[in-house]
Amino acid sequence: MAIYIVKRFFMMIATILIIATLTFFLMHSIPGSPFDEERTSNPTIQANLEKFYKLDQPTHVQYAHYLKSIATFDFGPSIKKPNESVNKLLARGFPISFELGMVTILVAVISGITLGTFAALRHNGIIDYAAMAFAVVGISVPNFVLATVLIQQVAVNWNLLPPATWSSPLHMILPTLALATGPTAIIARLTRSSMLEVLTQDYMKMARAKGLSPMRIVLRHALRNALMPIVTIMGTMLAGILTGTFVIEKIFAIPGMGKYFVESINNRDYPVIMGSTVFYSAFLVFMLFLVDIVYGFLDPRIKLHRKEGDA
Amino acid sequence: MKKWLSFLMVAMLALVLAACTANKEAGKEPEKPAENTSTDEGKEEGKKDEDVAIEKTLLMNNGEEPTSFDPSIGFNAVSWSALNNIMEGLTRLDKDHRAVEATAEKIDVSDDGLTYTFTIRDGAKWSNGDPVVAGDFVFAWKHMLNPETASPAAFLAYFIEGAEAYNNGEGSADDIAIEAKDEKTFVVKLTSPNEAFLNIITNPSFFPINEKVASADPNWHTEAATFVGNGPFKLSAWSHDVSFEFEKNEHYWDADAVQLDKVHWAMVNDDTTAYQMYQANELDVTSVPSEIADQMKDSKELRIDDQAGLYFYRFNTSMEPFTNKKIRQAFAYAVDQEEIVNFVTKNGEKPAHGFVTYGFIGPDGKEFRETVGDLVSYNPEKAKQLLEEGMKEEGYAELPKVTLSYSTSETHQNIAIALQSKFKEVLGVDAALQNVESGVFLSEQKEFKYQMSRSSFLHDYADPVNALESFITGSSMNRTTWSNAEYDKLIADIKNETDENKRWELLKQADKLLMDEMPVFPLYFYNSTSLEKEGVSGILRHPVGYVDLKYADKN
Repeated sequence: MAIYIVKRFFMMIATILIIATLTFFLMHSIPGSPFDEERTSNPTIQANLEKFYKLDQPTHVQYAHYLKSIATFDFGPSIKKPNESVNKLLARGFPISFELGMVTILVAVISGITLGTFAALRHNGIIDYAAMAFAVVGISVPNFVLATVLIQQVAVNWNLLPPATWSSPLHMILPTLALATGPTAIIARLTRSSMLEVLTQDYMKMARAKGLSPMRIVLRHALRNALMPIVTIMGTMLAGILTGTFVIEKIFAIPGMGKYFVESINNRDYPVIMGSTVFYSAFLVFMLFLVDIVYGFLDPRIKLHRKEGDA
Repeated sequence: MKKWLSFLMVAMLALVLAACTANKEAGKEPEKPAENTSTDEGKEEGKKDEDVAIEKTLLMNNGEEPTSFDPSIGFNAVSWSALNNIMEGLTRLDKDHRAVEATAEKIDVSDDGLTYTFTIRDGAKWSNGDPVVAGDFVFAWKHMLNPETASPAAFLAYFIEGAEAYNNGEGSADDIAIEAKDEKTFVVKLTSPNEAFLNIITNPSFFPINEKVASADPNWHTEAATFVGNGPFKLSAWSHDVSFEFEKNEHYWDADAVQLDKVHWAMVNDDTTAYQMYQANELDVTSVPSEIADQMKDSKELRIDDQAGLYFYRFNTSMEPFTNKKIRQAFAYAVDQEEIVNFVTKNGEKPAHGFVTYGFIGPDGKEFRETVGDLVSYNPEKAKQLLEEGMKEEGYAELPKVTLSYSTSETHQNIAIALQSKFKEVLGVDAALQNVESGVFLSEQKEFKYQMSRSSFLHDYADPVNALESFITGSSMNRTTWSNAEYDKLIADIKNETDENKRWELLKQADKLLMDEMPVFPLYFYNSTSLEKEGVSGILRHPVGYVDLKYADKN
């Protein structure tokens, strides 16, 4: 186990380095610079700005500087917000995105698994049809449409909840609903289909023959085995949702970090592109690692370290 | 195995709890401003009758986090909307958009129009109680011009002797012709007379900086607690990326004129959400989302202000067929500006028939745009004829392929489609459309890669020459490869002319020459539309300038 973790750790570092390098060269190959604006500044001002951000140096020097900034995790000041370091932007945005993401994931996992399980147990019954109708709608309605409708109905027309901004637990309800519907639907569908498969297995008959209570059969024997595909998608889903979503955060004016991924690229804000990409990829790689570990716990047949016997 | 499962459960539970505690902590900090917006707002309305001395809090939206409150760095609208209210320069724009005395109570100009002597008001004070002294202006202006500050605004100060040399690293700070004669006297010498100088220095990049504060703490402008200004309001709270708040500044020299007690600025970047917050009474002022601009046309809450700037298209005069003047003119005369304003943009803009915008009053007291008249307007007959003549001059049997380029945006696309169909209808030309990502578009436009491309211009200061000087040879704003010796001379003459009447004549000539040579053709002049709740009054919006809340009120 320990050897496996160490091995994975080095692979993670290598993956992040490759991603970082690709990002750096891709980023510099896009035409345009952070100072390209409709109002063109005159050459002197452009030169002063480039010098300030060390963009006047040759690419390999910039690359070396960049590797150093990854190693020390200090990406310097943002170009569009010169008073703030990229670290500060991420440190401020991430906890908020994480908080919203965590609540969303919890809602999605609990309601998705519950819906999916009931749908599978009442296969082709009313509950099944209702749950799957919900899932189809949940997957096909984009969250920004849902967000706008929720604000208009719940906040403006009924005046029940605040429409936007991020200042109290009440402000969290609408964005969580808008954000969780899609993942809930996906999880519900996955749970249902994988439960249906598990329920036809021989060991289910065996469990029933043993005279176990239905509750126990579903929870201990069926659900646990049916959870594998959900754990698989959880890694990417967690990384995606916890690091913020551009659209939902923009619509609800939530000061998370989702906007940096999109805006930094539009603005060619190199330090922010680098910072957010490295952060996101590190987070994603770590989540995938966690998923692999969880596999082992859920299904003892999956061996993390294959040559355990030889070692 | 059971152990592992319970471990997992515990881990999950821990995460849930962590998320919950994170909620409470994160919720606490920004809660204060929120109370002002939603809860207090609700109470305020109920109490209004019984409670007379209620706090007046105006609820505004800034869209996003201001770039910087260092006046030399925050060179864009999201910074100016705040800076213009929490700081003040020597001059300030009044209700009629004229630059009048502000921190300076007296302004003397030498006979040659080169030397300006400003006397600073005795009552002018910083929000920490310090007096505003001439040295604070010297400090701030040198800070802006220091090449290491890398201020994007520095070029505005190139009118001052020695400024450009210091900014491009050739000269020294001591050679800039700005000087604090004594505590209250500030003297500036320009390179050439400039009618617009007093207007230019209303820009926040010319605001003073409290030298004592800034020398002690170079990061004074990054937090509300350390920020020191000299405007009608003081910065009382700033929760980055969430909101900021002003309170009335009791040290302001004209504090009696200030009506509001507080201004709360949200940062909501989505127009539709902002409008929904406006409907829910969480904002008093908001912009109009383009989707509903048409429905709001007759609303009592709508206000439309001129904005000095225009939407236009550039020809590349080095690319065929636009090397030919008559062909350029033909395309320009095929464009129906009225149609674009009425059916495409639908935002109440004024169609543009010349390059200089409305709002500039000459020494004769007349509007520049009106005395010059329409220089280019829809004329299909003339367009057809010009195209024929141009093609004959160039010896074209068939017109070379024409491509219109624009940056990704729904408005730009709709306008490009309208132009395309007009070119087809009037000239019989099948123009291709090319949609390019904004960053790439701007950089390629500067590299002259497009035949015909969209563009826009917003004034940096309120003088027609600001728009016209874009097209002198080699200017970074030119981007057409067009070069005309006569035009270059006209602009140079305008900048050296001290006689206001003659100068105005030269400006008219330049506008006419530009619209005759047609390296660009205009579409419409910008405006700014906003919604204001009933009871809100006194917000100043200038054609060139920044939202001013000094006289704003809310009842």
